[in-house]
Amino acid sequence: MNPQLQTSAPLARSNSEALRSLYNSYAAKLLGYIFEVVQNKTVAEQYLAAVFNEVPNEIEELSKAGVNVLCRLQIIARRKLANFFETLDTETERKAGQNMPWVNNRYIAQMTPLQQQVFLGAYYQCKTTSHIAKELNKTEEEVRKTLKECFTIIRNGRNDERVH
Amino acid sequence: MKEYIDSGILEVFVMGVATDEEVKELMYMKAKYPEVNEALKQLEIDMEKIAADMALAPPPGTWDKIEDEIDGLIRRETYTQPVKFRTDHGHNGYEKTAPPEQFISIESESNHMRLHKSWRWVFAGVFVLGKIFLGFAIYFYLENRQTQQQLQELKTEIRELKKK
Repeated sequence: MNPQLQTSAPLARSNSEALRSLYNSYAAKLLGYIFEVVQNKTVAEQYLAAVFNEVPNEIEELSKAGVNVLCRLQIIARRKLANFFETLDTETERKAGQNMPWVNNRYIAQMTPLQQQVFLGAYYQCKTTSHIAKELNKTEEEVRKTLKECFTIIRNGRNDERVH
Repeated sequence: MKEYIDSGILEVFVMGVATDEEVKELMYMKAKYPEVNEALKQLEIDMEKIAADMALAPPPGTWDKIEDEIDGLIRRETYTQPVKFRTDHGHNGYEKTAPPEQFISIESESNHMRLHKSWRWVFAGVFVLGKIFLGFAIYFYLENRQTQQQLQELKTEIRELKKK
């Protein structure tokens, strides 16, 4: 599936139609992603709306050839969600926010604790690899390699599904 | 090339946490080397797969709300800062939901004020006029001082003539 093929034509037609098309194609995936972070349906919907409110500003970027729309939308969502982690009041909430024990994803379940920490930090919490490296007392290179391992696990899982 | 792909840079890129330099380099490598392009596409498929795995259908009416908000933003011709949504922690959150923002803060915390650009011509005009008035003031002050001196000299001459 190539997302840009689905969205380029509507984007050219009109912004409103393009937005609707983006919403139809990606809202469910984005909402699921946001819900994994905030664990609250209403708040997740508010963030989803905030992401799509931002889309008119990014419409040119999204319509460029070679841009993966879902990845771009997730980056917007991560920027918005960065605020969410600032709103965590107590130390307990912050710790829970760091480890995200509620994340229930079969790919993540296959990762080692270190891989999970790296993946959760980068994927859900929008942390840079240098930030994660500092937190885990590792080099940035090690963190990047770990992140690559995470994707290898996801890909292997995907390939296994195909075989079965 | 394998070393570049294995470095984890592609993973960092799809997460949106690569630096500007890394993005530029990656765009160059992607255009030049098909294997980088292919690896990136595979990663994007992985991201789609993870997102699809956790997808949640938004409730009906969500799009209408988003569309209304976007229309409102377009009408105001300005995009507001993202709202910091947060959860009422301690529960999965389906029952407990944070109330949406009802009020807009009108008390600014910044010490700076924003002015329309047209004001710069007004300020420039005031500045130039100020300089002109200052020039006139200095001119008339010196003129007046010279006149006073001449008057004093004339008075002295008259007194001397009277004495003779």
